[in-house]
Amino acid sequence: MGDAVNVTGSVKKKTKKKRQPKGIKYFLKKSKSQKELLLMSVPFLIWLFIFKYLPLSGWLMAFQDYKPARGFQESEFVGFDQFTFLFQDQRFLEVMRNTLAMSMINLVLGFVMAITLAVLLNELRQVGFKRIVQTISYMPHFLSWVVVAGLVSSALSVDDGIINIMLMNLGIIDTPIMFLGVGEYFWGIIGASDVWKTVGWNSIIYLAAITMIDQEQYEAAEIDGATRLQRILYITLPGIKPVVVILMIMNIGYILESGFEAQYLLMNPMNMGYAENLDIFVLRYGIRQANFSLATAAGMFKTVISFIFLFGANKIAQKLGEARLF
Amino acid sequence: MFKKKSLLLLIFVSLFMFLVACGGDDDASSGTDNGSDSSSDDSGSEDMSNDPITYHYFVGASGDDIHTNETTIGGMLEDETGVNFQMEYLVGDLMEKLGVMVAGGQYPDVVVPDHGIEMMMDAEAFIPLNDLLEEHGQNILAMYSDYLDRITMPDGNIYYLPFGPTINEYVPNPNIDQGAFWIQRGVLKDAGFPEINTLDEYLALIKDYADENPEIDGMNTVPFTGLTYDTSFFTFSNTPNHLAGYPNDGSVQIDMDTHEASVYADSDATKAYLKALNELNNDGYLDQEMFVMNNDDFLAKISSGRVLGFFGYGWQWGTARTSLEEAGNPDQEFMALPVVLEEGIKDQYLDPPSFTQNRGAGITVSAENPERIIQYWDELIQEDMQKLVMWGEEGVHYSVDEDGRFYRTAEQVELSADQDVRKDLGMTVFEWNWPRLNGSFSDGNAVESRRQPEVAKETYRDSDREYLEAYNIDTFSGLFSQPEERPWYPAWSANVEQGSDVALFATRAEELQKRYYPQIVLSDPASFDAEWDKFVNEYRSLDVDTYEEFFTNTVEARLDGDWQYR
Amino acid sequence: MNLLNRLKGKRRSIDDLIFDTVNVLIMILLVVVMLYPMLNTLAISLNASTDTVRGGIRILPRVFTWYNYEHVFTEAQILRAGITSVLRTVIGTGLGVMASAMVAYTISRPHFFLKKFVTIAFVMTMYMNAGLIPTYLLHRDLNLIGSFWVYIFPTLIGVFNIIVIRSFIEGLPETLFESARMDGAGEFTQFFKIALPLSLPVIATVSLFVAVGQWNQWFDVFIYNSSIPELSTLQYELMKVLSNANAAFGSGAGAESQFAASQGGVVDVVTPQSVRAAMTVVVSVPIIMVYPFLQKYFVKGLTIGGVKG
Repeated sequence: MGDAVNVTGSVKKKTKKKRQPKGIKYFLKKSKSQKELLLMSVPFLIWLFIFKYLPLSGWLMAFQDYKPARGFQESEFVGFDQFTFLFQDQRFLEVMRNTLAMSMINLVLGFVMAITLAVLLNELRQVGFKRIVQTISYMPHFLSWVVVAGLVSSALSVDDGIINIMLMNLGIIDTPIMFLGVGEYFWGIIGASDVWKTVGWNSIIYLAAITMIDQEQYEAAEIDGATRLQRILYITLPGIKPVVVILMIMNIGYILESGFEAQYLLMNPMNMGYAENLDIFVLRYGIRQANFSLATAAGMFKTVISFIFLFGANKIAQKLGEARLF
Repeated sequence: MFKKKSLLLLIFVSLFMFLVACGGDDDASSGTDNGSDSSSDDSGSEDMSNDPITYHYFVGASGDDIHTNETTIGGMLEDETGVNFQMEYLVGDLMEKLGVMVAGGQYPDVVVPDHGIEMMMDAEAFIPLNDLLEEHGQNILAMYSDYLDRITMPDGNIYYLPFGPTINEYVPNPNIDQGAFWIQRGVLKDAGFPEINTLDEYLALIKDYADENPEIDGMNTVPFTGLTYDTSFFTFSNTPNHLAGYPNDGSVQIDMDTHEASVYADSDATKAYLKALNELNNDGYLDQEMFVMNNDDFLAKISSGRVLGFFGYGWQWGTARTSLEEAGNPDQEFMALPVVLEEGIKDQYLDPPSFTQNRGAGITVSAENPERIIQYWDELIQEDMQKLVMWGEEGVHYSVDEDGRFYRTAEQVELSADQDVRKDLGMTVFEWNWPRLNGSFSDGNAVESRRQPEVAKETYRDSDREYLEAYNIDTFSGLFSQPEERPWYPAWSANVEQGSDVALFATRAEELQKRYYPQIVLSDPASFDAEWDKFVNEYRSLDVDTYEEFFTNTVEARLDGDWQYR
Repeated sequence: MNLLNRLKGKRRSIDDLIFDTVNVLIMILLVVVMLYPMLNTLAISLNASTDTVRGGIRILPRVFTWYNYEHVFTEAQILRAGITSVLRTVIGTGLGVMASAMVAYTISRPHFFLKKFVTIAFVMTMYMNAGLIPTYLLHRDLNLIGSFWVYIFPTLIGVFNIIVIRSFIEGLPETLFESARMDGAGEFTQFFKIALPLSLPVIATVSLFVAVGQWNQWFDVFIYNSSIPELSTLQYELMKVLSNANAAFGSGAGAESQFAASQGGVVDVVTPQSVRAAMTVVVSVPIIMVYPFLQKYFVKGLTIGGVKG
C-alpha cells in the first residue's frame, strides 16, 4: 500500500521537473488531458473558495476594535493591539502551557487508545459480540460534555466517588483524594475523560482501515506459525500505518485545540491554574466582552501555529518515508 | 519544494484580493439597511388600524417560544389591537446572537437584549419612542412617570422600556429570595430557637450541633459549605459585603454618607470572613469540597439534609428546597438568618426597591408601524391587565375579601402554581420582558402575588408556623431589617462598557479572587496572613482606582438624576 | 520434527487462548465502563427530578416517572423538528459524502496535475476560521439565511473526510485502475465503478461521521434560522427545553414562575439535569441506531482482499 504511494510520487517528481518551465502552456495542456478530473474537483474548489476563503476577509477585524454596529469600514483600526493584549497578558504563558499540555495528552492518549481498541476489537472472534462491543463503546460520544463532566465529577467525589472507593478498597490510598481540587491532576483527568468519551468513536476509522488489509497476509502468517501478537505487530499495525500517519499529521495541526467544554465544566477555583486554556481565555476576554476582534486575533494566532506544525509534521513524515498529507 | 511555495503564495494572494473586495461589500449593505429603515419609521399615521399583524419579539433570555395570541391575555390584547407577537427566546450565547443581528442589520421587530443592550444602542437599532409614547402610550407614560428621567438618554430620547417601575407603595417580599445565611432548622430547634445575629454566634451554633451529630441519616455531617462554581462564584465573594451590612450592590460598597464607592474584595470584612472560614477549616468544620463542587453537586449536597449551614441566594437552590420539602422532614429544611459580622451592624440583606434602568424592551428599526406595538404595550400596562398577568382571573386564581384584599385559597395556590395554567393564561410570557409594574396597585394590593402577605401565609405549613411562632414573626423576612433608602440602588446596573478598563478590571479581579480565596481559606492558619497579603498585593496591582472612581461617579450622577452616566 | 511442529502448534493455540480470554475480559470491562454513562443517563431521565437532585442515581431510577419525557415531548416540537432533522441528515450526508468522495478521488490520482494544489487548498481550511460574523455576512449575501440550505451548503464537504477517503483509495491496488483505463474507462467510470464500491467501509465510516455531525448540529439553527419554527431541528428544540430548565433554576430571571413552583409544592417540575438526560436519550437513540446498520459494510470490505489477489 505504502509502496504504491512512494513509487508514483517519485515518478511525478521527474515529470514535473521536465515540464514545469512551460508554465501556462503546461497548465492548459494538462487541463485538456485531465478535464474529467478537473470537472470533478473544480466545482468543489469554487465551493471551497466561496465558503472557506471569502469570509477570511473578516480577519481584518483582528487589527481593529471591531464593533458590529460599525462594521468593517467604520471600526477603528488599532494595529496589533489585540495581539499585544493577548501575548502580554500575565496569564498568557500559563494559558499556553495548559493548552499545549492538554492537547498533547489528548493527542497521544487518543491515538494509542483508539488504535488499541480497534486492534483488540478486530481480534474478537465472535462477530456478534464484536458488534455489540463496538456499538456500546461509541455510545459515550453522544453524551454532551455537560453530562460527561457531571459523571466525572461524581466519580471523583470524595464522599462516594467510585474512584476513591476503589482505590481505598485496593489499599492504594488511606484517605480519599479530592481529585478535582488538585491542579496537578487536572490534565490527567481531562485526558482520561476524553478517552472515555471518544475512544470508541475514534476507533471506527481504524476498524474501517483494518478491513482494507489483505486477508491473505493473515493466512500466510498463520501458516508460518505467527502468534496473534506477531500478526498484530507485523500485519495489522503496518497495514493501518498510512491512515494513522495521515490522521496524526492532521491532528498535530490542531495542537492549540485542547478542547473547551471539558475544561470549562470541570474547572473550579482550586484547579483553574491548570485548567484555563486559550479557548477559555478567549471566551472570558473576547466573547463575553463582545470583543470579537480579540477572538479573531486568537484565531489567527492559532492558524499560524497550526500551519507551522502541520507543514512541519508533513515534512518529517516525508523525510521518514511515511505516507504524507500532501 | 518550489512548487509548494508558489502555490501557497497563489492562495494567499487570491485570499487577499477577496479580503479587500468583500470587506467593502459587507459594510455597504449593512449600512443601508440601517439607514433606509429608520427613515421610514416616523410616519405617524393617525388612523390606528386593527388589521391583524404578527410581530417578531426576540428575548435575550430563555423561555417558551409561543405566539401571544395563544394565551388568554394575549388573545384579549389581540382583540383590542389586532396585534400578535411571535415570541422567540434565546437558546445559545447572547453576544453571538446579537453580534450577528447587529452586523447583519436585520432585526426582529422588538428586541429585549438583556445585558447586550449596549450593542443595540451602539448600532442605533432602536427607534426613539418619545413621540410614539406621547401619541399612543399615555398609560405607559403615567406608569413610568417617576422613572422617565432615568431612561431618557443624553440625546433626550427614550429607546427602550425597562420592566417594573414601582408604583404606589413598595411591598417587601415576605420570604427570602435573596442572600442570607441559611441554617438547618433542626439546629435552631435543638438549641431552643436562639437569636442569632453575628457570624460567630452562627458558626458556634453549627459547630456545637455538628459535634453532637457527626452523622445525619448515616452520612457525614457537613457543618458549613457554599457555592463557588463558575459564574456562581459571586455568591462567595459577595458574602463579606452582606456581613458588613450592605445589600447586594455588586463588587463595591457605597458609603451612606459620602456616597463613595469602594471595593471590598480586600476589605477587613472580607479578611475577617476568610479568617473565620480558615479557622472553620482548620477545625474540620468546613466542607472540603466547597471550592470543587459544581452547581449540581452543591444542590445534591443541600438536598441530602446533612448540610447545617451555607450562604446563598434564595433563587439559586429552588430545586433543593422543593426536594427537601418533598422529603418530608421539615426540620431538615432551611431558614434564612440575617447574619452580620459583629454586634452593632445593621443587616441589609433585603433589596431596596430597585429599577434596573439598563435593561428593557426596544422597538427596532425593522418594525413597521411601531405605533401598534406601543398601543399593545399601552393596553398591557393598565392595572386591570397587570392584575391578570400577575394574579390571574378573580375567583379562579385568586379571591378578594370584603376589604378588597387579594388572597389565595389552598386550591388557588395550587392552581396558580401550575406551569401549564400559567402558560395558557399568559402569565409566563407577560410577567417579564414586557412593560410591567412593581409595587402595589392603586387598591393597595401587591402587584406581585408572592409579595402579598395573605398569599405567603396561605402557603405556610404547620411546620413553618412552628418556627415563625418561635421567633415571633409573621413571615420569614420578619427577622431581617427593612432596607434603608439608597436612591442609587443597584450600583451593579451601572453602564459598564464592554471591553472597557472597568469591565476588564471586573474580569481580572474575579479571576484573582477565584485563585486566591480558596488558597487563603484552606491555608495553614499560621500562613493565613502571608497568603492574604499576597492576594492584596496582586489585587492592588490592578487598576482599582479607575473602577472605584467609575462607580463613585455613577452614584453621584444618579443622585443628580442622571442614570445614563457611562 | 513432527513433534516439534505439534508442540509449536500447541503452544500457539494456548497463547491464542490466553490472548482471546484476556481480550474478551478487557472488552467486557470496556462494555461496563462505556455502558455506565448511558445507563446512568437513562436512569436519570426516568427518575423524578426533585429526587435526582439528591444525587446518587446510578443505573436504576429511584422514583420512577415518565414526566421528564412528557415534558420534553410537550415542550418541544418533536415531530416537525424531527422531520427537518432527518431531512438535513439524509440530504446533507448524501450530498456531502458524494462530494467528498469525488474530491478525494481526484487527489488520490497520482497523475492529477492539481493534486497538490487541491489538497493543500482544502487542508488549509481545516485550520482557518473566519469567525462568526464574517461567515454570517457571507451567508446573508448568499441568501442562505432563513433557508433550509444553510444546513447543507456551508458544511457540504468535510476536509477531514476527504483525506480519509483519499488515503483509502490510495490503498487500492493501482493495477485495478490501470486495467480499467486500458478498457477505455474514463475518470468518472473509474470513480463510480472501482473507487467508490471498493472503498465502501470508508464510505460507511464517513457517512456515519457526516450523519452524526448533521444530526447533532444546533448552532446553525440558532444563528440563522431561530426565528423560523418550520426550520427548527430536534437538537435545537431540545436545547431550547434545556436552556429553559436552566433559566428556571439557575438565574434570577423568571423569578415569578420559579417561586410559583416552589411555593405550590408542585411535584412535577423538571430540572436541567433530568431534562438533559431525557433529551440525550431522545436525540441519541435514533442516531445510535445508524451504526449497527452501517457495520455490515465494515465486513464487506474484506472482499477486497480477493480482488487484490
